[in-house]
Amino acid sequence: MLQRFLDPSVLAGISGLDLVAKTVVDGFISGLHRSPDFGFSQEFAEYRAYNPGDDLRHVDWNVFARSEKMFLKRYRGETNCQVSVLLDASRSMKYGSRGMEKMEYAKFLAASICYLAHLQRDAAGLIVFDSEVRQFVPPSTRQGQIMRLLHGIDQAQTGAETVLEKPFAHLVDYLRRRGVVVAISDFWENPETVLKTVGPLRSRGNELILFHVLDPQEIQPKLRGPVLLEDLESGAKMEVSPDYVTHEYKGKMSAHLEDMKSRAAGANIDYFLVDTSRPLDEALRQYLAIRAGRL
Amino acid sequence: MGFLNPWFLGGLIAVGLPVWLHLLKRHKTDPQPFPSLMFFEHREQSSVQHRRLDYILLFLLRTLMLVLLALLFASPYIRRLTPKGRGDKLVVVAVDRSFSMRTKEGTSSRLDLAKNEALNVLSKLGPGQKGQVVALADTLQAMTQQTADPGELRGAVSAIKESDARASFGELSRYLRTLSESTKTPLDVHLISDLQKSGMPPGFTDVRLDQDTDITFHEIGKPQPNWAVETVIAPQHIYDPKRARISATVTGFSAPAATRTVTLLMNGKTIQSKSVMVPENGRASAEFAGLDQASYGFNRCEIRIDSTDGLAADDRYAFSVERTDPKKVLFVDDGQHPKAQEYFRAALNATPDSAFQLEPLRPDVAANSELSKYAVVVLNDLGSMPSGLEQALQKYVTAGGSLFEAIGPASAVAFPRAPVLDEAIDGTSYASREGERFFSVSDVDTGHDVMKSVERFDGVKIYLAVNVGTKNSRVLARLSNGKPLVLERKVGEGKVLAFTSDFSAANNDMPQHYAWVPFVQRSVAYLGGSGSGEQPTNLSVGEYVELRTGNEKGAQAEVQDPDGQRVLSLQDAAQARNFELTREGFYEVRTAGGKRSLIAAHANRKESDLAIIPQETLDLWKATGSSGPVNASGQGTGGEGNTTPWSLSPFILLLLLGVALAESVVADRYLRPQAQPQETKAA
Repeated sequence: MLQRFLDPSVLAGISGLDLVAKTVVDGFISGLHRSPDFGFSQEFAEYRAYNPGDDLRHVDWNVFARSEKMFLKRYRGETNCQVSVLLDASRSMKYGSRGMEKMEYAKFLAASICYLAHLQRDAAGLIVFDSEVRQFVPPSTRQGQIMRLLHGIDQAQTGAETVLEKPFAHLVDYLRRRGVVVAISDFWENPETVLKTVGPLRSRGNELILFHVLDPQEIQPKLRGPVLLEDLESGAKMEVSPDYVTHEYKGKMSAHLEDMKSRAAGANIDYFLVDTSRPLDEALRQYLAIRAGRL
Repeated sequence: MGFLNPWFLGGLIAVGLPVWLHLLKRHKTDPQPFPSLMFFEHREQSSVQHRRLDYILLFLLRTLMLVLLALLFASPYIRRLTPKGRGDKLVVVAVDRSFSMRTKEGTSSRLDLAKNEALNVLSKLGPGQKGQVVALADTLQAMTQQTADPGELRGAVSAIKESDARASFGELSRYLRTLSESTKTPLDVHLISDLQKSGMPPGFTDVRLDQDTDITFHEIGKPQPNWAVETVIAPQHIYDPKRARISATVTGFSAPAATRTVTLLMNGKTIQSKSVMVPENGRASAEFAGLDQASYGFNRCEIRIDSTDGLAADDRYAFSVERTDPKKVLFVDDGQHPKAQEYFRAALNATPDSAFQLEPLRPDVAANSELSKYAVVVLNDLGSMPSGLEQALQKYVTAGGSLFEAIGPASAVAFPRAPVLDEAIDGTSYASREGERFFSVSDVDTGHDVMKSVERFDGVKIYLAVNVGTKNSRVLARLSNGKPLVLERKVGEGKVLAFTSDFSAANNDMPQHYAWVPFVQRSVAYLGGSGSGEQPTNLSVGEYVELRTGNEKGAQAEVQDPDGQRVLSLQDAAQARNFELTREGFYEVRTAGGKRSLIAAHANRKESDLAIIPQETLDLWKATGSSGPVNASGQGTGGEGNTTPWSLSPFILLLLLGVALAESVVADRYLRPQAQPQETKAA
């Protein structure tokens, strides 16, 4: 029943992003990712010896009464993670072969992740970029944050071409606290360049997740005859034959995706290829399942 | 090179279509957006090159196909030098042997003069030059093949015999066109004829000659006055010789006013003679009444005028009449409708010499009569049927007799089913004063013999009609309420015709209507066997006599010509459907159905008009055969050859077929969808 609503074309018919996010997220999972920090919640994690300077409120006095030794009680925190969603709004994201643009799909994905973070009381933020950072909603857990995020996502418009280096250099300034960084893009760039650009985020202790959003026509184009293709970003035109697409393009695309996947794995970055023809919750489910297994 | 239909070259505009399709439209192709051309290389793929080659080839083939199509419709031709043999031209001598060629010119007939002229033409043939002799009448008879033997040609001229048929110059031209096309040889035609104006066809195009045909006219005889018996109107059958009338028309062609004696001869005996004054170039009629001398059976009659003109053959006109007793029609009437018999008799005797004689009888007397001696039995709305009459009628009709019954209100009360017709009677339809007041006749089967001359019963008012079923009968006329008025049914070998009202004018005004007389006469003639199926006995030479209708398998027909000779071979006697009258006189004919008749044949009277074709018309006729400068270089000399138009259409058609085939192959290769390799799931 629910699956019917998660088809991208069905979601495209839903007017509000909040409703889309709720439809996708509600009911199938919650609270599967945990904070990389230990917090002070209800779930006990371990004891450690008291060091001078520690907060005396966390000392387990029952243990001290029995053993006259001071131990601090440690708990696992669940909601104090900072989630930053980086949404690519370059012109190439405007492409869509099945009535739904990649940008639209990416917006749904970003909204769903933000809503998921909101449910977990995570501090979620949003950065929309193309060749520049177009929008920035700082991570926060304040009331009304989810509406700000969804508004920001809704306002995102495809603009210039993709230049990852410039916005990602600035992103480092915005993301001062460790957390989870989710980048949603079609990554029409050399995999080496992509990883080199996003690598610094990972090196600062962030969990980095790449959602590679592609249309099925990009992965395996189907042409009936020779056509004149126009690059959405550069405006360059080129006549392409079906024969070339069937053989050489397919091989190059497969190599590209494989390269992206292997380089991401090498950099300890989570990488997910998202086909816009597949249900939206499938990408989320895959992502959450993997992260649950790791954490 | 030329074109027979050059305006079709306008079709070359259609060449713009492939240009638009392949070049202009192609340039308007909108580019398809794609996110990134990162993995595409700007280089020409071999398959694209190959397909582009196909594309250009397809364009060229389509353009060529349209050009060839336009050329094909334009019918191009080239002038080709045709080789000539010795004596190059084929000399055709056409001798007119039509009826008018019997005209005397001095002591000789025109045909004799024509034959002398033909021999004179043949004597001028060069050594080895080919010639052909043809005899012209309504059809053309080739007396020889193309031959260079002067003896054979002269013999053929001598063998030409006079004919009673009319001349047809259209037939001559058609033959010459065919000959020219088949031999590919220029023709030098010599037409030796009296050049009667009446021999020309209605349309001048029918005498058109091919370009390499040169015709020379040899006029025989001079215009002269001629009187002829043009037409004779005589009954085919005589029932009462005293009432028979014969009318003859005497015409003077290019003749001054003169008094002519018109004589009627019957079986060789002079019956009557009359003098008539024939005006200048006019007509006069002579009428003969009473043919008491006519004997029973066939009589050979002739109208003859005294004339001293050159064409004596048209001074007599043969015709035949058959004397026979009128057929009896039994009118069975019970006396309830006294006027019915009066109306019926009046209609039957409306013509001066009626073929039928009415004999009224009461039903009880009729029941004991021999019905087979009557051609038709009429029942006039009987209120009762004596015992034995219906069985006798049933037997009479089954054996081939004919019954005409009026089923009126009395019959509707007396019988549940119509006698012999055997259709249910379901009350009556009465047009009351409160309602429609009368029924009219709305639907008439005019294709039926009975209804042919009746056509429509316009204005006929039917006040009461009996509702008779139509289960087994054919309805010939219906009333406005959809009920039948006239029905016919075949019973055994005979026929029954029913009228669903009466003949007394009590329930309809039919007997007082002008449709009544033809309706009764046609009905009785149809039932009594004197209908339209009988073929005429006075015909023109060249017309055909029907010998069998197709139902008489294996039966022999027989024809004796005016000399008493049998003219049909055994095979023709058993199979021929008709026979052509080829000469004047009386033909005794027995058809395959066994019917005997005496056919009188007379020459077509158009031949009596000896007016000749105007010189301008002859010049025009000759001009249709004039050819180009090469052909006009003279007659009888050869060696330089002759140019004839040679059509290129067959070659263009073949080329077009080849191009269309190639276009199909190339288009199939180009437009066939590329086979997609098996899809693999994206990583």
